[in-house]
Amino acid sequence: MIISTNWLSDYVSLSASTEALVERLLLSGLNHESTWAVGTDTAIEIEVTSNRPDCLGHIGVAREAAVLFERPLHIPDPRPQEAAAPAAADIAVEILEPELCPFYSARVIKGVRVGPSPQWLVDRLATVGVASVNNVVDITNYVMLECGQPLHAFDLARIRGGRITVRRALPGESFTAINHKTYTLTDVMGVIADAEGPVALAGVMGDAGTEIAADTTDILLESAQFAPLAVRAAARGLVLASGSSYRFERVPDPAAVDWASRRAAAMIVEIAGGQVSGGVVEAGQLKASPATIHLRHGRVAEVLGIEIPADRQQAILSGLGFVAETVDGAGSRWRAPTWRRDCWREIDLVEEIARIEGYDRVPENEPIAARPVAESARERTVRRAADVLVAAGLCEAMTRSVVGERLEVTASPWGDTPPLVCAPPLVRGADRLRRTLLPSLLEARGANMAVGGQRPDLFETARGYLARSADASGQASGNRPTAATPVEEPLLVSFVMGGSFAVGKGMAEAVLERLGIATHAANGLRVVFQPVVLDLFAAGRAAEIVLERPGLPAERVGVIGEVAVAPLAAAGLKNPVVAAELRLDRLEFAVDMEPSRCRPSDFPSIERDVNLIVDQKVPWGDLVTAIREGSGVLLEECRLVQVWTDAERLGAGKKSFVVSLRLRSHSGTLSGEEAKRTVEAVVAACGRQCGAVLRA
Amino acid sequence: MRRERPLGCRSRLRSRSAVTVPKGRDDAARADAQAAGGKPAEEAVVIESFLAELAAFRDAASDTLGGVAESSGLEQARIEFLGARSGRLKAIQKLLSGLAAGDRPAGGRHFNEAKAAVTALFAAAQERLAAGDVTGVDGAADVIDVTLPGEPVRLGHVHPITQTIRRVQEIMARLGFESVDGPEVEDQWHNFEALAIPAEHPARDPLDNFYLAVARGADPLLLRSQTSTVQIRVMENRRPPLRIVSLGRVYRPDTADATHYPMFHQVEGLLIEPGTTMAHLKSVLRQLASSFLGGDVHVRFRPSFFPFTEPSVEFDMEWGGRWIEMGGAGMVDPAVLAAVGYDPDEVSGFAFGLGVERIAARRYGVADIRDFYRNDVRFLRQF
Repeated sequence: MIISTNWLSDYVSLSASTEALVERLLLSGLNHESTWAVGTDTAIEIEVTSNRPDCLGHIGVAREAAVLFERPLHIPDPRPQEAAAPAAADIAVEILEPELCPFYSARVIKGVRVGPSPQWLVDRLATVGVASVNNVVDITNYVMLECGQPLHAFDLARIRGGRITVRRALPGESFTAINHKTYTLTDVMGVIADAEGPVALAGVMGDAGTEIAADTTDILLESAQFAPLAVRAAARGLVLASGSSYRFERVPDPAAVDWASRRAAAMIVEIAGGQVSGGVVEAGQLKASPATIHLRHGRVAEVLGIEIPADRQQAILSGLGFVAETVDGAGSRWRAPTWRRDCWREIDLVEEIARIEGYDRVPENEPIAARPVAESARERTVRRAADVLVAAGLCEAMTRSVVGERLEVTASPWGDTPPLVCAPPLVRGADRLRRTLLPSLLEARGANMAVGGQRPDLFETARGYLARSADASGQASGNRPTAATPVEEPLLVSFVMGGSFAVGKGMAEAVLERLGIATHAANGLRVVFQPVVLDLFAAGRAAEIVLERPGLPAERVGVIGEVAVAPLAAAGLKNPVVAAELRLDRLEFAVDMEPSRCRPSDFPSIERDVNLIVDQKVPWGDLVTAIREGSGVLLEECRLVQVWTDAERLGAGKKSFVVSLRLRSHSGTLSGEEAKRTVEAVVAACGRQCGAVLRA
Repeated sequence: MRRERPLGCRSRLRSRSAVTVPKGRDDAARADAQAAGGKPAEEAVVIESFLAELAAFRDAASDTLGGVAESSGLEQARIEFLGARSGRLKAIQKLLSGLAAGDRPAGGRHFNEAKAAVTALFAAAQERLAAGDVTGVDGAADVIDVTLPGEPVRLGHVHPITQTIRRVQEIMARLGFESVDGPEVEDQWHNFEALAIPAEHPARDPLDNFYLAVARGADPLLLRSQTSTVQIRVMENRRPPLRIVSLGRVYRPDTADATHYPMFHQVEGLLIEPGTTMAHLKSVLRQLASSFLGGDVHVRFRPSFFPFTEPSVEFDMEWGGRWIEMGGAGMVDPAVLAAVGYDPDEVSGFAFGLGVERIAARRYGVADIRDFYRNDVRFLRQF
């Protein structure tokens, strides 16, 4: 909204400078955008929040200024002289859709001379950025910018059939607006129609056929109420916003419907001549229900934390147009002004008093009591995982939650229900809520490689989105739905980096270790890596990470693998990439943040290497389980030194694991004999469980 | 340029050090050698003087070999100390036969030790020269070019948006606010109704939200447009007193440009306690501002309009002599308290929200917020 300071001074005489005015308006709710000079006038652009349609006119802003600077406010009371001949003789009005248009009024002015506007009118409109058209159109614009009520003037002679009907547009009905563009309407929009068709799109714009032209002599002046949603649907649907639609979407002052009509009629007669016909042709019921509100004066201090005397509270409300109905010691009862539809509760009055009194009076040194707070398990889990990845040299990425088809995978690691789809797309072509972060990270790695980025190893912590199957989601009952949403949102931490499976596995294990979930933990938690087949990963080079907990079913908490050729190529990547994704929402319940650990042994250790030959198909995971079982409590660490195959020396289909065992006791120095017995037990267990043979 | 050619750099240094062979020390060592070798071999030798000879030999060899800086000098030293024909070691070996029979085993042992030690010194010097090390400046061993690059350690980087969120979280935690988290796909109740945004409100327009195309009766789901949804969920399940910060991704259909992105992050604070006033709100925001921006920062309220707070304000922070818009705030609307089953006459509270991208952009001087989502490591590694 642009305000002309000259125009403002018609209603309130201010001694303050423009800067002081702008500052006070800014601190009372009318945000300042900019100020500039237009001839001898000054334009001030302010931002008006959607709850204050009264400030979409100069009078509303003048009222604010009058209250802020404690100056009187002067609002004209136009009473145009009416001729004996009634308007109803020339026009009839009917509303078919009260939901779209609660109230419609028409005035008739005859014998006007359409021509250029006087200079003062041209100048005022120019200050606020409105081009002059002709005297009649300029007056309708002027009055709208004065009081916030949009008006429309039709050439009465071009209204066919002498009858106005407010109805729903017919689907597919066509309409040529005064901008000479033709629009196809839908039945959510309202139209003003004459006997043959639409002459205006209700609340938005008039049509070209009935606009005021040089030869117009008789005018139909429309002042009406239109429903905000219908106006909004028309303006947005047709991309045809106007000053009129903007105001109707925010509901102008109902009392201004008649005032604006009188004001414009009086100005037309004064500037363009002619005579106002008798009476107003009306249809419908004016929608106005100003609230009556009780204010406890003590409530102001309870909300604001500052004392404002009761008489000051009352002065502010009166100045804003509230009418005191009763006043007693502790409170007062107020009728809200018609233009303040947003004020209907006590708290609304408190806000009015606060913003006029000024929030600068609210102190900024009122302490709140100390209250202890701790990081949640989720926060700690997320942060610990990120800390490991950052320490290991990865950069945190943030990719879009909604992706295009190209970044979709046929099977997510977290279920095969199809992705949820949103409208509109987040960005062009991206309308699927992702079920895994990995394709997005691969794309980001590819984009980095394309610009020569050095080692773009990336990770991200974000949610995935999985549609729950229909029976799993509780249908909402009544107004308040169940707390659970029908969408499962796994909290994922995912990374992609150059290298082999082993490189990625080491990284994943480091993250798990920092969460207190080791591959072999004393606390009963255990993750195992098991072969898995997923589109994203190269065949035979991927694993699922399964969490095992005592007394609970094992569940997948992660996947890891070398990325298959197709997704690599899709991301523009050539060299091997390993990718992993962990479900922190499943791990956070297993995370062991405060482990109880035992004191390290003071006694020396003994190291023994064993070379075990097994069949090719025996995985290391099985062998290590056997080693642990065989060695008992003395095993401190079991380290894989080497894996090798040699058909000649080991035999075909065999491989050798060279394992280094570190043995140590908590109760004394191990003897060579004890170590020997332990190694023998390890070899025996490995033989029993994995068919392993000790290589001499 | 220079970083890409370390070899060229290194060879220049080596040629420079070649002119600083410690001549003086070399001459002194040679004089010692002549003195030691001057005695006839057949003469009887006492063990003490033999051991002294050995010690002198070791010291001289150590000095010379430690200071040798080029291969010709090394060869010269080898001939001098270890040469098979006329080296000093050879000369001392001849003295061995002059020792008393009883002293010979001990003498032999010392001789062998000295021989091994000097041979090792020679090997070390040889290795050092082969590796191109720079030594010999003023005769001191192990002098390095401290300006050569260190072995790089690759550091990862936390995303600037995460850093900003963590910073706000940490400050708020000190004020007793607990971080909470909630779903990003929301229903109408939590995203609108409970926040006093009625069905006809423009904020619910399909063009202004990302609605999901899943049939769910009359209650369509959408990607949340604000993190206030989490506050509703917490209030529904807990009783006051309550201090929380909810944070995370939110979604609004804006065309991406330098200051807008359809996905962004919010941090929202909520405090519900009996007797809470706007003075508490202003004071908490001032503490947040002072900790976040550093120094004693003042806060300014400008009246505004949000459906879920009343009174509603925009809050600015004074920074570098200017007022900077930080976010929106207000007292929790009684309708919101009632919607979650609280009695608005018994408890009151305040809420505030910050757009993370905006304050991160300001804090780091990022002109285009789309940079936060390009995931270019050249950008990310600056944080």
